[in-house]
Amino acid sequence: MEALWSDFALAQRTSDGYLLGTTISPEPPKSDPARLYNFHRWTNPGSLQTDLRYKLQYNPNLKLDKKEANTWLDIFTAYYNFTTTLLAAEEAKNAQRPREADWSTVYESWKNVLNAVIRAYQNEMFEAWTIPCLYIVGKYLRIFAIKADDNAALAQRDTDVALGVHDEDMSNSSSSRNEKLEDAARQIGRIFALCLGDRSPLDDSRKWALYYIANLSFKTYFRLNSISLSKNILRSLQAQAPGELPELSAFPRAHQVTFKYYSGVIDFLSEDYKAAEEKLLAAYEMCLYSPTNTTTTTTSRNRDLILTYLIPTKLLTSGLLPTIALLSSSPNLTHLFQPIAHAIKTANLSAFHAALAANEETFIKRRIYLTLERGRDLLLRNLFRKVFVAGGYEPSAAGAAEGVVTEKVRRTRIPIREFAAALRMAGMAEEEIGDGEGGVDEEGVECLLANCVYKNYMKGYISRDHDLILISHLDDDDDDDDDVDDDKDDGKLEQQKRKMSKKW
Amino acid sequence: MFPTMQTAPAYTRVVARQTLQRPTEPVQPQKQAWSPDVRAYVQRAFDPANLIDGVEGGVMSERLRNVITQAAEAGQLETIDWSTYPLPQVLIKAERDQAALRGGMASLSANLLSPVLHTNAHALHDARTKRNYEEMDTTPAEEEAITPPWKKTNKGSLEDRMSGKKNKHDKKQKKAEALRADFGVDFEMLARRKQRFGYTSPEPSPYLSSRQDSPKPVAGPIVGTCEKIEKSYFRLTAPPLPDTVRPYPVLEKALTLVRNKWKQEHNYRYACDQLKSIRQDLTVQRIQNELTVKAYESHARIALEMKDLGEYNQCQTKLRDLYKLDLGGNPGEFIAYRILYIIYTCNRTDMNNMLADLTTADKQQHNVKHALQTRSALASGNYHRFFRLYQNAPQMGPYLLDMVLQRERLAAMAAICRIYKPDVALTFLAKELAFNTDVEDPEDFDAVQRACLEFLCQHGGESFVERKDSGEVRFQTGKAIAVFEGARAAAFRGVDIKGQI
Repeated sequence: MEALWSDFALAQRTSDGYLLGTTISPEPPKSDPARLYNFHRWTNPGSLQTDLRYKLQYNPNLKLDKKEANTWLDIFTAYYNFTTTLLAAEEAKNAQRPREADWSTVYESWKNVLNAVIRAYQNEMFEAWTIPCLYIVGKYLRIFAIKADDNAALAQRDTDVALGVHDEDMSNSSSSRNEKLEDAARQIGRIFALCLGDRSPLDDSRKWALYYIANLSFKTYFRLNSISLSKNILRSLQAQAPGELPELSAFPRAHQVTFKYYSGVIDFLSEDYKAAEEKLLAAYEMCLYSPTNTTTTTTSRNRDLILTYLIPTKLLTSGLLPTIALLSSSPNLTHLFQPIAHAIKTANLSAFHAALAANEETFIKRRIYLTLERGRDLLLRNLFRKVFVAGGYEPSAAGAAEGVVTEKVRRTRIPIREFAAALRMAGMAEEEIGDGEGGVDEEGVECLLANCVYKNYMKGYISRDHDLILISHLDDDDDDDDDVDDDKDDGKLEQQKRKMSKKW
Repeated sequence: MFPTMQTAPAYTRVVARQTLQRPTEPVQPQKQAWSPDVRAYVQRAFDPANLIDGVEGGVMSERLRNVITQAAEAGQLETIDWSTYPLPQVLIKAERDQAALRGGMASLSANLLSPVLHTNAHALHDARTKRNYEEMDTTPAEEEAITPPWKKTNKGSLEDRMSGKKNKHDKKQKKAEALRADFGVDFEMLARRKQRFGYTSPEPSPYLSSRQDSPKPVAGPIVGTCEKIEKSYFRLTAPPLPDTVRPYPVLEKALTLVRNKWKQEHNYRYACDQLKSIRQDLTVQRIQNELTVKAYESHARIALEMKDLGEYNQCQTKLRDLYKLDLGGNPGEFIAYRILYIIYTCNRTDMNNMLADLTTADKQQHNVKHALQTRSALASGNYHRFFRLYQNAPQMGPYLLDMVLQRERLAAMAAICRIYKPDVALTFLAKELAFNTDVEDPEDFDAVQRACLEFLCQHGGESFVERKDSGEVRFQTGKAIAVFEGARAAAFRGVDIKGQI
């Protein structure tokens, strides 16, 4: 228990915000696992005020003026009440009675702590170095909200089963399903506004908390599936004049990576793939990752998340597929993307459909299904290219002089029928290219070719009179792209390995 | 003067009347000796053997008290033959049965009579106390004037309630309804409005059914009593009165009627109006069953046919909730419509959410499969497949796809112009772009060609149409690339799709 107060005193003396934050954290530090329990035992509601005042105001180690001490008094009072509820809930959980753990009350009491902290800032009692306290209150607010909502959902399900009741009004339940989280979102919005409206000079401003709080908001809104609200946050950040808010690069790296990731995903969902690629790539490069150090699970998880969105984005913008090396760095990614990448490379339609279907649920959940579907266009292009290549070369131009080596030119006039055959072999469904009588729906195949040309994957034109497609032989340059696997990614991996090795 | 004579005065001195009211005889105190007949009657009433199911003791004893006090005041204590007089519980039951007969539904009687019964005792009580200070025989009209409007329940005497007066009121009701139907004016709404502004009519308006319903709105879903099968839609501004709301059996008939009329007459204004009022009656009575689903589905389909997207969306939203209650209907069909609608709005987020909500069972359903295939074809730009699917769209699908038809045709033209050189036959275009659906008779070759030609000219392509000597019409795709690319861009700009196709 004394450790808490000595930490507090030390933090105040050295203006160590992070240390200060740990004093009001719901999680005890590793060095002092029984801290919360001891804190709770140390006093009781009756003598709470006097004990706290003794520690805060009349403590020779601390030099707090009266007003500040009072602020901390409020905060620690709320914190005390919070520990009561938290310990009760954890006890219930540990005693194998998870249903009884009242996370709602925990949430409410933590909200009181949050309110006390916010008041402190509103009254300009706290200096900017203390903002890690805001991080703590925000972060755990969200966590407790999720716990409270889960519990409420379980309880609701129990009563429904007991009463044999169907959900009378689904819309009702879906809004109440996330009640606490929505409330948490509002609170985090409050903190955001609080930080945004700080007029002090940048050196001593709460604006340094902005990106962390923005990230918290993103996490909450994503869970609530309301992307539009996230866009509001982005807009308010962008609306800041250049001098008012420090550049993102000045912020701690963790804030940057997370922020770039979320804004990248928001762009992805709004189909702005160019911007998404930029941001996700930046996040990926900055993301802390060490292939040898497998104990840091959070960092590899972050990287997986970034790549989950980066890979489909790259697929769409530049038609690039991830290398096997890249995918093998994470079993998760391999499982998700390897089959698709392989199917596209080998132009195997049935394999492609199978791969999409296998992980459909995950793709849909992550909202990348529709983007990955566009990989089909790449696949068809590869297929057509194979037909082109398989066509062999033109017979040498008649009338060429003996001994003159004419350049071999690929056959450019290709009957549509050959494409139809290739499509059939690749596994295209009969209903798509068949004409219902065992023959080929020529117009269907032509349409597929038309799309390839329209999307600039191919250059050529069809002559219906001759049932041919004439491919321009100047299109060789844009054919080799997909076999050039993700060199860039490879390179980056190498770079990072080098960086890592320099460190040790 | 004459000396005063000590004779008895020739008049009787009486206290002069100060008021207009005639002096009443003092009310007989309760403790007055009751005749043995009366006492026997009371005993019989409380006899457990005479208790009737459904008539609780409290209600019965209230009624007993009323009966006796009324008789006492009317001076009929001696004259009524108590041995044959019906017991209070019998009276209550008879009234209930009559009301049930009249309303046509048992629940209705519970609805109407319970407030009536409960307020009955109070009202009479109040009336009695008032009568102490007033004339013995106030006319009913004056009585209503004296008692405030919120106490206006069941002022009639016992006989009134028992017999004929009810029929009289029925007639009034019917007249009122007939009038309302004729003028389409909601008299009740007017009366309610009057009340809101504090104006209370001194005598009951014949069109106000104030005798029937309780002054306070009945808590919870009401049950309707209206027997009219057709009813126009009026926006509600206050809880509706039960006799404006149609009960379940009537609504069933109403829905059937509307559907038949639609098939015969195709009068959208009428159908929409009727369906909205059916929906309203269902909502007000909190009825959520197969009939509700049927009503909303019918309205949605009709709205689609007439391209009324507003109504269609309303019905769609409600149907989503209803399907979750497992009430049957055609959830697959309407899921398909939702998918097609989202295709039309090009709303990526909605589409993502929609796909996330689809279950495996949903995806097996015929309509849903078709809608998903349509989505997939459009997403990859496969216009050929899209137009085939369009021609085979089940049920109301074509009406939804009509909304995207124009822009998809332009997209197809943009792709066609880029790949086919130097030109293509008009017949090819007409077939590819499914112009046979635009004409009355799909077999009419010329009409189909003309429709296609019209489309091309509408979007600036007339200069590229070439009539060959053989009579064949060809379209010079090679030269028309820019025109149709521009047209396509313009068509899609409205929905802001950012990179789709």
